[in-house]
Amino acid sequence: MKNLVYIFFFFSLFSNAKTITVGKTYAVKTIKQALALANDGDTIVVTKGIYKEGNILINKKIAFLGKNYPTLDGQNKFEVLSVAADSVLVKGFKIINSGYAALDDPCGIKVYDRSFVRIENNFLDNNFFGIYLQNCKNSIVKNNTIKAYGKQEQLIGNGIHCWKSEQLQIIGNRISGHRDGIYFEFVTQSVIWRNISNHNIRYGLHFMFSNDDSYITNVFKGNGAGVAVMFTKNVKMFNNYFEENWGDSAYGLLLKEIADSYIFNNHFARNTSGIYMEGTSRIKVEKNVFEANGWGMKIQASCMENEIVNNNYVGNTFDISTNGSLVLNTFNSNYWDKYEGYDLNKDGIGDVPYHPLSLFAVLTENNPSAMILFRSFMITLLDKSEKVLPSITPDNFVDKTPLMKSLPL
Amino acid sequence: MRTIAIACITLLTLISCGSNEPKPIKINTDSCDFCKMTIANGKFGAELITKKGRYYKFDDLSCMVQFAKSNTVVPYQSFFVNDYLKDNTLIPAETAHFIKGGKINSPMRGNLAAFSSAKEQTEFGKKLEAQTTTWSEVYNAYK
Repeated sequence: MKNLVYIFFFFSLFSNAKTITVGKTYAVKTIKQALALANDGDTIVVTKGIYKEGNILINKKIAFLGKNYPTLDGQNKFEVLSVAADSVLVKGFKIINSGYAALDDPCGIKVYDRSFVRIENNFLDNNFFGIYLQNCKNSIVKNNTIKAYGKQEQLIGNGIHCWKSEQLQIIGNRISGHRDGIYFEFVTQSVIWRNISNHNIRYGLHFMFSNDDSYITNVFKGNGAGVAVMFTKNVKMFNNYFEENWGDSAYGLLLKEIADSYIFNNHFARNTSGIYMEGTSRIKVEKNVFEANGWGMKIQASCMENEIVNNNYVGNTFDISTNGSLVLNTFNSNYWDKYEGYDLNKDGIGDVPYHPLSLFAVLTENNPSAMILFRSFMITLLDKSEKVLPSITPDNFVDKTPLMKSLPL
Repeated sequence: MRTIAIACITLLTLISCGSNEPKPIKINTDSCDFCKMTIANGKFGAELITKKGRYYKFDDLSCMVQFAKSNTVVPYQSFFVNDYLKDNTLIPAETAHFIKGGKINSPMRGNLAAFSSAKEQTEFGKKLEAQTTTWSEVYNAYK
């Protein structure tokens, strides 16, 4: 016991950090007052209550903690919380009603040009932008629940918006009702892990010009247009779920102008199109499940040197579709539930090659209204004869080693 | 009865619309014909109409110009751009006043904003630290 006192005394000599408690029954009544009193290294604890203090600016290195989720209300006029200091921790707040649709994009929490900022365990409700990191490094956004009520035909910001940043960690957040759940623009060397981004107006996740990132084990369900990864290099996409993105321009995963990436062990289920690729090159698509989509994959003729290996294609209306006759991508050892070949030597690999591109997929790509003839007798007949004697579909669009049994994914 | 009358009038107005009228962009529903992204910002959208009467919609002015330049077969009738100050209102590109760069953040980094008057152009050019530019310059900036 005596030792403990000594240790405590020893530490208190070096750090004279203090804790300021804010609340109705305390000496400090407002957050702004507490911020004025605080120095670098202090802790501000805000107790339960509703605080309507307009824009709150944190410009000192402090820990800013909420006890029992105090509410910071922006009254639909202000940016609620602005962070303009390094190493700030914001934890345990309920942040509601930021300004709306102004030219300067008001946010729930915005961080300006800082490093080592942590934003954890907050509830954000009905903000224009949720959390906005601008020009940040080494920062963490973790376990926040971000909710907005965007409607069609209405301008609304993104849930977590990151711009010109590096080494970010976006972990365990739940986002819904924003324009894009998570938006990355010029963000590098960052990771997006275990987030749930459902029912956003546009994309669950949106990458633009963001190289060397990875997103792992996220769920993207029922977003207006799925997920988009565009104009980007070297992105790793592992163990994600892309589900129920329905609509004319909705895709489970939209890839445009992207190179050198790796898509591994994802589930694409019940989308209009599982993956849509345009201008993508040197991508490996491995061990993914494509289940019950309209189109499993749409690969435009502008794609090249992509490798599609060991995937399961189960219950899709069309497994693959393309808009050209040039084939510069390889398909190997996938499981296709539409495969009708045989395996005489019992090695688990079909003895006849499989052509995943059906005649009708080509016809509807060029002439969408032909869809009305789907499953008619004539089309079935044409499809069968095309399989025997390929004439319209490119004959090098082929999986030479189709699997007889689906992979356990 | 009244609903039928209203329906008739709307139908008539729709029919009487010439081919040179822009179709309004449906925010968060229509997708860009160049970059495939869903159009979500009514400040930066654009639209072009071909001589054949086909409409193409874009989420960014740079998408429209690049799209227009990529096709040399079909001639164009007219170009429209969103007025930066009025949410999702299309104005003819030829008579619009443009600013470029500065603090403008457009969806596809074209970073061009259009205004219907020169006064707004100079005002927001100063505010957003952007340079003023013209339609012909914008159109010829891309190959």
